[in-house]
Amino acid sequence: MILPDYYEFCCRVKLVAGHDALEKIPALLADMGAKKPLIITDKGVAAAGLVDIVVNALKDGIAIGGIADNVPPDSDLKVVNQLAGLYRDNACDAIIAIGGGSVMDTAKGVNIVVSENATDLMAFSGIGSLKRHLKPLFAVPTTAGTGSEVTQVAVIKDHEKHIKMAFGSYFLLPDVSILDSRMTMTMPPFITAMTGMDAMSHAIEGYYCLQKNPLSDAHSLAAVNMIYKYLPMVTKNSSDKEGRLAMAVGACLAGISFSNSMVGLVHNLGHATGSVCGVPHGICMAILLPYGLEYNMHKCEEAIAELLLPMAGEEIYLKTPKAERADKVVSLIRQMNSDLNSLTDGRHARYFSEVKDRDGKQMVPREVLPQIARAALCDGASVYNPEDTDFEDNLIVLEAAWEGKPLDGNKLKKG
Amino acid sequence: MNLSAGYTFTCPFKTNSGNKALEHLPVELSSLNAFKPLIITSLNLTGRRAIRTLINAFGDSGMTMGVFDEITCNADLNVIEQIKDIFVKGQYDSIIALGGGVVVDAAKIVNLAVSQKTADARQLSGETDICGPLGPLVMVPTAAVTGMETSKYAVLNKKTFVSISLMPNLVILDPRLTRAKDSKTTAEAGIAAFGRSLEAYIAPDKNPFMDAYAFAALRFIRENLVLAENKSCNKKASLAVANAAVMSGCVISNTGQSVLHRLGQVFQNIIQVHPGVIIGMCLRPFLDDYVKKDSHLVSALFHPLAGDDKYAATPEAKRTDEVLKDLYIFLDEIYGVLKGKMPRTINEAGIPRYLMDDIFEVINKEPDGAYLRTIIERVS
Repeated sequence: MILPDYYEFCCRVKLVAGHDALEKIPALLADMGAKKPLIITDKGVAAAGLVDIVVNALKDGIAIGGIADNVPPDSDLKVVNQLAGLYRDNACDAIIAIGGGSVMDTAKGVNIVVSENATDLMAFSGIGSLKRHLKPLFAVPTTAGTGSEVTQVAVIKDHEKHIKMAFGSYFLLPDVSILDSRMTMTMPPFITAMTGMDAMSHAIEGYYCLQKNPLSDAHSLAAVNMIYKYLPMVTKNSSDKEGRLAMAVGACLAGISFSNSMVGLVHNLGHATGSVCGVPHGICMAILLPYGLEYNMHKCEEAIAELLLPMAGEEIYLKTPKAERADKVVSLIRQMNSDLNSLTDGRHARYFSEVKDRDGKQMVPREVLPQIARAALCDGASVYNPEDTDFEDNLIVLEAAWEGKPLDGNKLKKG
Repeated sequence: MNLSAGYTFTCPFKTNSGNKALEHLPVELSSLNAFKPLIITSLNLTGRRAIRTLINAFGDSGMTMGVFDEITCNADLNVIEQIKDIFVKGQYDSIIALGGGVVVDAAKIVNLAVSQKTADARQLSGETDICGPLGPLVMVPTAAVTGMETSKYAVLNKKTFVSISLMPNLVILDPRLTRAKDSKTTAEAGIAAFGRSLEAYIAPDKNPFMDAYAFAALRFIRENLVLAENKSCNKKASLAVANAAVMSGCVISNTGQSVLHRLGQVFQNIIQVHPGVIIGMCLRPFLDDYVKKDSHLVSALFHPLAGDDKYAATPEAKRTDEVLKDLYIFLDEIYGVLKGKMPRTINEAGIPRYLMDDIFEVINKEPDGAYLRTIIERVS
């Protein structure tokens, strides 16, 4: 195990996992002196009946201060301020966020406003502007993927002024994350597959990006092992309770890893593809993951090869000659995408050319690839990628990912 | 691992480890809203050089700090009251514990007293309610640690305090401080961390989060302890052992009270012997018994101990034997370097009979006291 010359690692979140983890919330809130939580969620989560499950789990133990299910898909400053008002009007003393990335971001924003009595959220943006504990925040993730239940960042958009405010602080970490199998049981196979591959991309990028360290490594290895084993199982059988819990835990482990070692090319190009073409984040991650591995292969071959054992197990590890182990990891990820493609009747796209919207229209026309490659230059994720990236390399990767062909390493610049 | 059983895991501290880690202190403190720390340490136990290195690291940050360097092995609640007064009168806002063992125990209890505004710290006890987050506590370990510094436990003068809130917010591991003066200090810290992590790794109720810490701690110690003992000039190996000790504090805070750990504690509380000495003695009989109980759990140890290649190449049925073999070799190597400086039996440790009676009295009160006694008898 490698000890870097310098590293930092932090995940202060209390993690509570189980098939009945939600039932522990009242006692955990009481430990923190809170009695009246505000539930923040979105319409989709509420419609799926997940809020009802949480409310049922809480009702005997605690009074709920309010339920707000109007978080938009894109976080919005107006909603943050409105929910902060609701929190104050109902004299709440804690927040329970149920949902994915946008719900978590919104809840973190609300927490800053109510804890700091902020009238201008902008004053707290940037890294390290928060200096003290905020109100108790509980995160209940409803996809096994984003890892946002263990990240210390939030992005809130001011749609009126057209600005994006980013916040980074350890005080934004939820106090408690609840990983309960019931929260993901109803996720359809296609969403299960792409959110699961999002988690896989965190586990793997977390294992090769520049801030990797012994603790992020240990989290990544455990995550890769669980996600590789359980993702196809839960995609095939939605109601596999054990698998669902294992995926929730695996995604959380992956979230802990990448929020410490950071992410690279896969996220860099994925963010850009998402913003240019509106392709769901998980799909971008699934498609780009093999290319992130290939692009960094000459710098990280040893690390990539180490992923084979937790993925494929002892037999395949032994059968694969040492020099071929890293390549085997790449081919297993491609195989995983292929398997998920069959399990979802083709809805889990393997290449960008396969990504279609609801009307069957291609979402990533080939001619926009240069635009994506350019947009990626403005995204921070490239900073932590082991190999430097530039416009030409981005385009080569995107072209290959569009066609679904392996990356031709000879075309790339190697630093 | 039973993934289905519910569990809770938490590690409230951040770790900064490596070159010039200490120089990050001013920034890290200010991010905790702390600008005037009180350093709690011991001139005798930690040493003047370490104190100077820590203070110098603040450079021209403009931060002012106080130093209390009079912690002794016999520190009690009177000292806590004394430091509490200094903290309050000096208007300090945070604590840096420099060193290991009793220094950190004292710092944790001072933090409790000043954060909860305890009127008289001499009245504190294990029954004292500890609620909510306490004030900022930074731990800067030297090589002379017990591995319990980062844990939720604090023991002072036979009084035990337990709360997740007692754990530090931040741990700074700087290679200038983690090199030991002698191989025995390294071995004690390493074995203690190894034993506690090992127990957690083979516990039937382990969970994937705790497992990640235990795995990293075990592998670091297996790969580095003998090297760090042999060559105290090997900064990296010493730092790896210190990293493992820090991780083991998190591990022990997330697992039930364990056999090796409890035995180490009893001896430490009564005769002030380093828990690593006792854990080292008891490892073999403990593991021999454990194999009979659940050899499958023991076989999993082969992965962190032997590495990927050997683990994969060894059929599962043979792993338990290989674990025991590897472990005995490892222990022999550890003790070999020490050339008799660390006792391998109670007899060698020269613990007088009357003190052993005191120890047995405490052990007998444990629910599994009869079993714990058999382990001690086998290493007597």
